[in-house]
Amino acid sequence: MTGEMSHVWIVVPAFNEAGVIGDVITDLRSIFANVVCVDDGSADDTGDVALRAGAHLVQHPVNLGQGAAIQTGVEYARSQPGAQVFVTFDADGQHRVADVVAMIGRLAAGDADIIIGTRFGPGVSRPPLLKRVVLQTAAWLSPRGRRLGLTDTNNGLRVFNKTVADRLDITMNGMSHATEFIMLIDENRWRVAEQPVEVLYTEYSSAKGQPLLNGVNIIVDGFLRGRMPR
Amino acid sequence: MNWIQGLLIASIFALVVFLLRSRRSVQSQAWVKVGFLAFMFAGVYAVLRPNDTTVVAHWLGVDRGADLMLYALIVAFGFSTLNTYLRFKDLELRYARLARAIALEGAQSPE
Repeated sequence: MTGEMSHVWIVVPAFNEAGVIGDVITDLRSIFANVVCVDDGSADDTGDVALRAGAHLVQHPVNLGQGAAIQTGVEYARSQPGAQVFVTFDADGQHRVADVVAMIGRLAAGDADIIIGTRFGPGVSRPPLLKRVVLQTAAWLSPRGRRLGLTDTNNGLRVFNKTVADRLDITMNGMSHATEFIMLIDENRWRVAEQPVEVLYTEYSSAKGQPLLNGVNIIVDGFLRGRMPR
Repeated sequence: MNWIQGLLIASIFALVVFLLRSRRSVQSQAWVKVGFLAFMFAGVYAVLRPNDTTVVAHWLGVDRGADLMLYALIVAFGFSTLNTYLRFKDLELRYARLARAIALEGAQSPE
């Protein structure tokens, strides 16, 4: 299967994930030849573990945030020969490799430039109640998200083609990058589709997940983004 | 509504619009300097003839010159806070791009 997937690059942003990153990379590498881990200035040995598990490693000299790490990973991947399909995949083990394969199949149909995972599709288990309320409020508060018909604007699992990767320019370093992704989709008129995915809420990923209050930061940053000098 | 209320609200909106729209052009930098000079002269004048600020305050519907100064200070503080916030965001982005360039330079392939 590795041969068929050589045009796919998986971008895994990681910050202090030494405990789980090895398994996540190994799992991805069982299907995908090309995995790049962006170590976002971790204090532990996340980078070494990822490299040993078979990932390409790009290390930020200082911690910059997940948005910056995704941008770095995509810039690395898009400069690699033959790279056509790009995937963002969280390092904490909350996504399933099977969903990535399905999303790549969906992208190959050619009617979308970017496929975003959603936790609110048919046939997948729903997130815990509080999380669900917050996520759906966030999606509802995003006018662009609503216009594009997106139900889960903060899902970390995305699959996109080279058109998107070449033009991607995430300027929100922190957690607001999910909103910025939606804005870029809208501004560049990329064709977007959603794919229901399973998100595994392990104790580990819940503990590391963003606090709900961070939603306030995300909304304010999103409002100010368009006014920033680029 | 009092004159001062309209004036203060209008100036707050004007500052926000100006700041958010400004792309740090040469002109806007020049205007900041002009504004600062005007501020200095006004400050010196107000120190020399404090009662004149009360006269101006009366024109605007404020009782005391000191109150007028306080309102002006609040607006100036808001301006400077927002300015600093936007400057920091801009610096953060440059810093991220610098760090990214270093990171990509040192990328390691497996094996």
